[in-house]
Amino acid sequence: MRIRRRTLGRIGTNLLALLVFAVMLFPIYWMVSTAFKPGRDTLAYTPQWFPRHPTLSNFHDAIHRAYFWSDVKNSLIIVGTVVLLSLALAFLAALALAKFNFYGRKAFIVLIIGVQMVPLNALVIPLYLLLSRAHQVNKLSGVIVIYLVFVLPFTVWTLRGFMLGVPRELEEAAMVDGTTRFGAFVRVLLPLVAPGLVATSIFAFIQAWNEFLVAYVFLQSSDKQTLTVWLAKFTTLRGTEWGPLMAGATLTALPVVAFFLLVQKRVAFGLTAGAVRG
Amino acid sequence: MASIHFDKVSKVYGDGTLAVQELDLEIAEGEFVVLVGPSGCGKTTALRMVAGLEEISDGEIRIGDRVVNDLAPRERDVAMVFQSYALYPHMSVRQNIAFGLRMRKVTKADQHRRVEEIAKILGLTEHLDRRPAQLSGGQRQRVAMGRAIVREPRAFLMDEPLSNLDAKLRVQMRAEIARIQRRLKVTTLYVTHDQVEAMTMADRVAVMRRGILQQTDAPQRVYESPANLFVASFVGSPPMNLLEARLERSPSGLLCRLGRSELEVGLRPELERFVGRTIGLGVRPEHVREVNGDDGDRRLQGEVLLVEALGAELLVHVAVNAQPLLVEDVLEGAGDDEAALPTAATTEGETTILARFDAESRIREGDRVELAFDARRLHFFDLETGRSIRPIGAPVPAGVAG
Repeated sequence: MRIRRRTLGRIGTNLLALLVFAVMLFPIYWMVSTAFKPGRDTLAYTPQWFPRHPTLSNFHDAIHRAYFWSDVKNSLIIVGTVVLLSLALAFLAALALAKFNFYGRKAFIVLIIGVQMVPLNALVIPLYLLLSRAHQVNKLSGVIVIYLVFVLPFTVWTLRGFMLGVPRELEEAAMVDGTTRFGAFVRVLLPLVAPGLVATSIFAFIQAWNEFLVAYVFLQSSDKQTLTVWLAKFTTLRGTEWGPLMAGATLTALPVVAFFLLVQKRVAFGLTAGAVRG
Repeated sequence: MASIHFDKVSKVYGDGTLAVQELDLEIAEGEFVVLVGPSGCGKTTALRMVAGLEEISDGEIRIGDRVVNDLAPRERDVAMVFQSYALYPHMSVRQNIAFGLRMRKVTKADQHRRVEEIAKILGLTEHLDRRPAQLSGGQRQRVAMGRAIVREPRAFLMDEPLSNLDAKLRVQMRAEIARIQRRLKVTTLYVTHDQVEAMTMADRVAVMRRGILQQTDAPQRVYESPANLFVASFVGSPPMNLLEARLERSPSGLLCRLGRSELEVGLRPELERFVGRTIGLGVRPEHVREVNGDDGDRRLQGEVLLVEALGAELLVHVAVNAQPLLVEDVLEGAGDDEAALPTAATTEGETTILARFDAESRIREGDRVELAFDARRLHFFDLETGRSIRPIGAPVPAGVAG
């Protein structure tokens, strides 16, 4: 009796999980499948679950649309710079917050969390005024700075957590063994917080790659825009071109997925196990 | 290899805590000195100051002829074994051991040769390519040792390296570390709160309390003539019996009044000035025995509370009519050693004495016994200063603090 109830319970939770899975996956499935449907099938009254006449014409259409390649390049430049800069800055900042005792450290940590509470949308206009005074509007560098500012609090906070998990004796041992203090950070701490670096770089990548509002407001000329802004151009006054839009969206989503697959193997937690008695 | 000198070294933390106070200590070349004391006595701080992991507030530390106060840890050429081992988890055992050599730009071939050599000494050869997480506690301990030895440093610093091991392994590693140290003859400063480790491994023991060095001497000397009440109660397991005694004159010299009993102590010139006053009386459990015909008046009556059979001997807890010595020095000294604390006597004015009896003894719980103390092995303490009252003419041990 008891065992049966437990089995039923397990089936129930599994069904629930499947339901959540389906809800999450369906939009992605619909995006990809629409991308392969010819125009007349995308808006058919009876929905087509599988593309009955699969075609690559939508992709062809999207890729040959104006500014596709220049916007791919822009997106990659922005995201690459943001990820690399945020990693370097966040590592050093987290190092200071986790390993050094300085006046105002607590206040700084609180500030970091506080900053994240402010919605980006509310800051768009003040930021615009600020950046236009610095002649950074309609420039990739302006957007890079904004993304960096918004990504850093989270990355610093997360990395600090990873660093706190590394026992202080490890650095001390390295220093006695012959490294400088900074050498101990690089040779011992850095490899041990690698999972944290991976996690934060995924975060920074997704944030910067998917961002729309700031890119839309700050980058006006077509050759300076990012892929998300480029996608919006499929919706015109005359309606939306669903097929090419979905093809473009699929292409836009690919790099994020690829990046994640590339680095996820390194998200191996518990790498510090065995350093000290465990 | 080099000697280590502490010259009036003090450490004050930011919040005003005085961790180490005017420490004077010299560790000769090749000597094994154990710094021992209860937790928080400043011994680890003293060690970390030698390593360069803690700033020196005042005084001077020299390694060899070099003042190292302002040198970075890597410039001091010492090796340290941490309590937690602090092995680099992302490196193999081989890389862990070779790390210090790599940092010192030793050639690859030399690194390889020396790592293999050390692994052989420590029995780690087949584990060289494993990660620390895959090793047992004892193996990790060995890797930590290997990492220190391989560098051939001027001195070893060890911070409670055995406290994370289980009892059996600890005894084994204790011997192994002592053996390696004797073989390599490297100056070693070893910190522990375990006085058994201190006694068994050290050439010399330095007992610390609240940042102040209490006594420095050979283990046996510290055991036989503790400088003060703290050292007396801290060193020895089971601990020394310490009682309150009133000193009075008797026909044959002097006697100690312990509760209702009297204990003849004979002629003792050094005790003359304490006549009529209360002093501390100490006797080690192995110097307490059952009365025989020759003992005359030197006897103490009591009731056996507990008999612990330890195989080779019996540890007997006897309630006697006497005042226990409950001064702070004693309580603090006995604090860590819960294994051998005497059972509490139940009645007011009674105290429990520990005695080591021969395993053949037929003594049983509830028995009435008469105890005798070996008069030559009694220790007397001035209760005002806590210091040991030494026979006139006896050498004063080195490094005595009030």
